[in-house]
Amino acid sequence: MTQPQPSHRSNHRSNHRSNRREFLLDTSRGLGGVALASMLADDGMTRAGSTTEVPDGLAHIAPRAKSVIWLFMVGGASHMETFDPKPALNKYAGVSIDKTPFSETLKNPFVDENVRIVVPDDANGHIWPKVYPLQVGYRKRGESGIEISDWWPHLGDHIDDLAVVRSMWTTDNNHGAQLQFHTGRHSLDGFFPTVGSWIHYGLGSLNDDLPQFVVMGTPIADCCGGQGAHGANYLGPEHDGVQLDVNPARPLPFATPRGALYREEQRGQFELLNRLNLMTAALHPDDAALRARIKSYQLAYRMQMAVPEVMQFDSETRATQSDYGLGNGTTRTFGQQCLAARRMVERGVRFVQIFHGSNGGAGRWDGHSNLKTGHAKVCRETDQPIAALIGDLKTRGMLDETLVVWGTEFGRTPGAQNSNGRDHHPYGFSIWMAGGGLKGGIAHGATDELGFHAVENRHYITDVHATVMQQLGLDAKRLEIPGRKRLEIDYGRPIDAVIA
Amino acid sequence: MLARILLIVVLAVQGAVSAEKDDYGKVKAIFKAHCLRCHGVRKQEAELRLDTAAAAISGAKDGAVIVAGKPRDSRLLKRVRSGDKDTRMPPEGAALSAVEIATLTRWIQAGAPHPADEAPESDPADHWAYRAPLRPRVPIETSATWVRNPIDAFLARGHRGQELLHARQAEARVLLRRATLDLTGLPPTPEEVRQFLADTRPDRWNRTVGRLLQNPRYGERWGRHWMDVWRYSDWYGYQKQLRNSSRHIWRWRDWIVESLNADRPYDEMVRQMLAADELPEATPETLRATGFLARNYYLFNRNTWLDATIEHTGKAFLGLTINCARCHDHMYDPVAQKDYYRFRAIFEPHQIRTDPIDGRLDAANHGLSLAYDAKPQTPTYLFERGNDKRPDRDNPLTASVPSFLPGQQLSVSPVQLSPVIFYPGLREPIREGLLETARQLVTSRTAALAKLASPPGSEEPASPELAVARKELTAARAQLESLTARVTADTARYHGNDPAAAADAASLAAARHRQSDVIAAEAAVMRAELSQSQAQGGGDKKKIAAGTKALVAARKRLKAATSAAAKTDANYPPLTKVYPKTSTGRRLALARWITDRRNPLTARVCVNHVWLRHFGSPLVPSVFDFGNNGRRPRFPALLDWLAVELMDHDWDLEHLHRLILTSAAYRMSSSATPAHAATRQRDPDNRFFWRMNSRRLESELVRDSVLWVCGNLDARMGGPELDAGTGLSTTRRSIYYRHAPEKMMVFLDLFDSASTHECYQRNETVVPQQALAMVNSPLAIEHSRRLARRLDSQVGLENTPEHSLRFLEMVFLRVLGRGPSHSERTACLEFLAGQTRLLGQSGKLTPFGSGQKIPVPPAKQPHLRARENLVLVLLNHNEFLTIR
Repeated sequence: MTQPQPSHRSNHRSNHRSNRREFLLDTSRGLGGVALASMLADDGMTRAGSTTEVPDGLAHIAPRAKSVIWLFMVGGASHMETFDPKPALNKYAGVSIDKTPFSETLKNPFVDENVRIVVPDDANGHIWPKVYPLQVGYRKRGESGIEISDWWPHLGDHIDDLAVVRSMWTTDNNHGAQLQFHTGRHSLDGFFPTVGSWIHYGLGSLNDDLPQFVVMGTPIADCCGGQGAHGANYLGPEHDGVQLDVNPARPLPFATPRGALYREEQRGQFELLNRLNLMTAALHPDDAALRARIKSYQLAYRMQMAVPEVMQFDSETRATQSDYGLGNGTTRTFGQQCLAARRMVERGVRFVQIFHGSNGGAGRWDGHSNLKTGHAKVCRETDQPIAALIGDLKTRGMLDETLVVWGTEFGRTPGAQNSNGRDHHPYGFSIWMAGGGLKGGIAHGATDELGFHAVENRHYITDVHATVMQQLGLDAKRLEIPGRKRLEIDYGRPIDAVIA
Repeated sequence: MLARILLIVVLAVQGAVSAEKDDYGKVKAIFKAHCLRCHGVRKQEAELRLDTAAAAISGAKDGAVIVAGKPRDSRLLKRVRSGDKDTRMPPEGAALSAVEIATLTRWIQAGAPHPADEAPESDPADHWAYRAPLRPRVPIETSATWVRNPIDAFLARGHRGQELLHARQAEARVLLRRATLDLTGLPPTPEEVRQFLADTRPDRWNRTVGRLLQNPRYGERWGRHWMDVWRYSDWYGYQKQLRNSSRHIWRWRDWIVESLNADRPYDEMVRQMLAADELPEATPETLRATGFLARNYYLFNRNTWLDATIEHTGKAFLGLTINCARCHDHMYDPVAQKDYYRFRAIFEPHQIRTDPIDGRLDAANHGLSLAYDAKPQTPTYLFERGNDKRPDRDNPLTASVPSFLPGQQLSVSPVQLSPVIFYPGLREPIREGLLETARQLVTSRTAALAKLASPPGSEEPASPELAVARKELTAARAQLESLTARVTADTARYHGNDPAAAADAASLAAARHRQSDVIAAEAAVMRAELSQSQAQGGGDKKKIAAGTKALVAARKRLKAATSAAAKTDANYPPLTKVYPKTSTGRRLALARWITDRRNPLTARVCVNHVWLRHFGSPLVPSVFDFGNNGRRPRFPALLDWLAVELMDHDWDLEHLHRLILTSAAYRMSSSATPAHAATRQRDPDNRFFWRMNSRRLESELVRDSVLWVCGNLDARMGGPELDAGTGLSTTRRSIYYRHAPEKMMVFLDLFDSASTHECYQRNETVVPQQALAMVNSPLAIEHSRRLARRLDSQVGLENTPEHSLRFLEMVFLRVLGRGPSHSERTACLEFLAGQTRLLGQSGKLTPFGSGQKIPVPPAKQPHLRARENLVLVLLNHNEFLTIR
C-alpha cells in the first residue's frame, strides 16, 4: 500500500463475530483500517496510564441489533401531552390535587425519595397542586390501539412498531438530568461515560471510513452536562461521540481545508507524506505508533471523502426527501439529521445520537410557560421526520437491526405552573423505543391516574441503557474497568417486557 | 474380589481427597471475596480471622464458627444462610450463592482439610511504599562500561538479571532534539543544532543540559506537566456565574512557571500550595500558590468540593487513594473510613476568597483567589456510608492523617497571620492605587473648577455651578486626606511598635474620615439642588420628580453623615475587607507532614512523575496509587535511590533533571538493532528500560512547535488566560489559553490535552481527527505558507533544481532538525516537480469548496506553491510529531 485510495469501501463488515485478528490481517493486506483504538490496542498502544483491558470488539451475547439511533428531546417533554395521555387531568382541571380522589399522590414516599434537588432555593422542585388540563387531544392509534397525543399525526401511523415505556423515573429535578439520562448519574456526581461511548468501547467497527459514534444537532448546553452528554470520560477521548454537522462542506472539525486548495494538490501531499513516513518506518520496524500514524492518515483521507458523502442527499429520491420533510422549513433540520442517521446506519455507524431542541440553555422542550404553543411546535418539527425514519428503515429491512430510542430528561408536572405551563417532573415520564428486536405496539408500565408517579413496572433511566446494550449483544458488567467502581443502578436492567 | 473392593475404596478416598483440596482453594476465594474485609488482617471483627483455615477453625471470641466434619454445628454456615437481614453474613453486599454455600458445606463436612503451611494474609500496612526509603547501595556493574551514573548502575543490574541488551547511544542530533523538547517543549533551532554538532569539548552534553534548564521555556514546559498533576483548570460556570475552580487562577499557573524557573524546591512548592497563607514567610506573591486549593471550589456542593480536595491532595502528593475510604474503609489500604473524614477536617475550615490586587478594588475582574481559614469552628462528622444526609453528629472528628504511615502525626497549632495576609489593604499596590485615584480626583476637580471660574478681577457674580464645583474639590481633598490618614493609621497599627502613636493616628484617621463623609454628603446635596433647580427651569415633569427623589436621598445621607460626625471614637473603615487574624494551622501541619523526609511517599511519587515525563513510562505504573492496589515499582532500588537523592539535595528538581538527562540511560536510542532481537522478545514493552521510549508530542507541543519552527511563536510569558477560540489565529504558547471544561481549544483536545477532571498521566492516542487537524487546520496551512515565504527569501525564487534542493535542505533542517536522506531527497524533489506541473494546470483541478479561512493566500507561482505544500507535509511527518 503506497498511496491512499479515496474510493469508498463497500464491503462493510456486518458480522459481529468476525475476529478482530482477521480485521487486522485484512488491514495489513489492503488499505482497510479498523477503529484506530482497537488497532492501537493490538499494537500495544493501549491508553497510557490505564489498566483497562481493551475489549476484543466482539459481542458477549447473541446480538439482536447492530446500530442505535438515539433521539433526545432537550428540555423535558411532557409525558401527558405526548405518549401518556391522562383523561383525569381534564376531569379535575383547576382542582387542587389534594381535593381530587388522588390526594394520596402527594403523600407518596417517592415525593421525597425520588428526587435530588441540585440547587437549593432554585425555582424548580416545587409541587404544583392545581391540575392543569391536557393541552391537546389524544386518540387510539394503530391495531394496538395505544393512545397518543394528536401532536404526533405521522408517528401515530407507526405506533404498532413502537414500544412505549410510560413508567420512567429519574432523580435530578434540574436539567442536569440531561446528562443523567446519558450517563445514569446525577450531575452532582460529575461526569461518567455515556451509553454511546460504552457501546463504542465495547463493540468493534462496522465501517473503516466513518466514525462509529456520531452526534448531531446542537449538543446539550454547559448548564446541563454540555459535551459530557456524549463524552466517554474515563474510557478515553477515542470513545467520545464525534460531532458531525449535516453540512457536506464542513461535517467535522478540520474536515476540509479552505483557501483555494485543490483536491489533487492535497492528494499529492498525502502521497508524499505516506512515502516519507514509510521510509521512516523502515528504520524503526518496531514502532507501533508510527504504523498507527500512517494508518490514521490513510483513514483521515478516506473520512474526508466518506463523511461529506454521507451528508450528500443527492442520491436519495425526491419521495424520500419529501417524506423526511426536507422541503419544509419546520421539519428540514431534524429531517436532515434523521436522514443522515439512516445513511450512517446503512454504512455501519454504530451509534447516532441526535439532540433536538438545544438552544444554549435548558432546551426548547422546557415548557414552563406557553406549553401548548411550545410543545405543538417542537412536536411538529420532529413528528414527520421520526415517522419517516421508522418507515424508511422498515421499507429497507433495516428496522430489525436498528434500535431507535426516543427520550427526554424528565416529564412535566400534572399541575399547572403559573397560568399555562408545566414544571420539571422526575417522578414519572415516558420514552419509547422501536426496532432492534423489540416488540412493537406495546405500552409498558404506567403512571398513576394523574401521571404523577410511575407506579407500575418502574424503570430508572439506566434500564434503557441496559436494554440497548443487551440488544447489541453487550453485557455491561463484562466491560468493567478496574478501579472504576460502578453501582448496580449504573448498569440498569433490561426491560424484558418490551423485548421480542 | 476383596482386593478389588479395596482398590475401589482407595480410589474413592483419593477422589474425595483431591476434591477437598480443590474445595479449599474455592473456600479461600469465597472468604476473600466476601469476608476478609472484616475478618482478615485489616480488621478482626469478633476477633475472627478467616485468612487461614487454622484461624477460621480456632474461631471467634465467643467460640468456634466451624466444627470440622459437622456442618450442622458450624455457626458460619448458619450465618451465611440466614434469611434475617440482621444476622446474615456478609452484612453488606450480595449474599453467598447456593453454589458457594454448598462448597463451604462440603468442605466442612469433609473435615475442613487444608495445607499445614498456610501463610496468613499480609498486613497492608507492611507495604513497600509505606516504609521510608533508605538510600540503597549503588550496584557495582563492572562489566557495564556503559554506566555513567547511579541510574545506569541500577538499570544495568536489571538488564543483566533479565538478560537484556541495552540500546546504543542515540545520534547527537536526536539527543539534542529529545532534550530540547523535554526541557523546553520546543525543538532546537537549526543554529542550536549546528553549534551542538560543532562542539567538540567533552562536557558538551552537560553544558547543553545546563543551558536548557536555564531557559525560561523550561518553566513553561514543566509548569504544564505539574499543572496536569495538580489538576489545573481555569474557572468555569454558566455565563457569568462561577461554578467551579476560581477566577484569576492563572496567577497560580504563573506562580508555577516562575517557581520552576527560580528552581524553588519541590517541598517548598508543596507547602506553599497547601498553606502559603499560614507560612511565616507568606507574601501576597506566595498566596498565588493556594490556587491548588482554590481550583477545587464548587458552587453547588461543599462535600463535592472537599472530596475533590481530599482525593487530589492524596493522589498528587502521596500517591494514596484516600478518597476510596469515603463510604467505607479502604478496600486495600489501611485507611479507615474515619481517616477520610479526619483528613477532611484538615480542610474543613478553609474557604476561597478573592482579594483585590490594586486600587480598582474590583476583585471579580482584577483579583487574586486564595485559600484561607474562614470558619475554624466548623465540626467534621463522618457520613454514614458516605451519605451526607447521615452525618454522625455524636462523634465530631479532629484533623489527622492516616496513622499507619511512619513519622510523626500532625502537630497542629494555630497560626497568627501576618497583617498583610489577613488585610489586603496593607498591600502597597492597593494602597498606592487608592491614593493615586484620590489624587487624580483632586486634579480633575481642580481642572473642572478652573474652567468655571471667572478670570481674576471679573465682576461677574459667582455662578451656582462654581460653588458646587468648589465644594466638590474640597470633598476630593478631604477624601484624599482621609485616605492618607487611614493609610498612616494602618501603618502605625500594623507595622509600628508605639501603641500610643497608633491610637493617635487612628483617632485622626477616624476624624478625617467622618469629616470627609460630611463634606462629600454636603457636596452631593449641593449638586442635587443644582440639578433640581435646572430641572424645574426645564419643566420636564419626569426630570423634576427624579431630581426631587435624588435630593431627598442626598439630604438623608448628609443627615446620617452629620450625626456620625458627632462620634469621637477611633474606628475608621479599613481600605479593604479584613479577614480573620488567625488560622487553624491544620493545612500547614499537613504540608509539613507531607514534606517531612520521614514521609515515605512524597519523594517517591515526585520522582516517579519526573521519570515518567523523561522516559515516557513511569517506574511505578500506577502513578497516583502507590498503595496495595497499585503496581509495584519496576526498579524499587532505583526509585528509592532517586527519592533519597532528591531529599538529600533539598528537593531540588533541577538536580533531578540533570541527573536523569546526564545518565547513559536517557541517552539510549529508542530503536533496536538486529542485535536486540532476543532482548525485544524478552521485554517487548520495554518494561526494563533497555531502550528509550519514543513518544508523541503532547497537544501543546504540537501547536507550539508548529509556531516555533515556522518562526511565529509569540514568546511573551504569563498573564490572564486567553480565549481558547483564538488559539488558531494567535500565537502565544498553548499553556496560556483557557483550559476549562467545555472551554478548551478543539485543536489541543484532539491531541489528548489534559482532562481538567484529573490527569496524572496523558493519553497518547493516534486518531484520524489529529491528521485532519494537522492537514486542514488554518494553523498548519497558514504557518506552513509563512515558513515557505521566509525560506524563499533566503533560497531565492527561481525555479531550478538547485533552488529546489536548497529549499529542501533548509526546510528539513528547520522542521526536523536534520537534512534529508538520499531517498527522501529523491521523493521530495519528485514531489516538488510533480506539484509544480499539477498546479501549472490549475484549470483542470478541483478546488475544495469550503473550510476555515486562511489569512495567508497560497503563492501564485506553481513552484513556490509546491514548496508550501512540502512544508505542510513535513509538519505532518511522523518525526516532527515524535520525541524519538
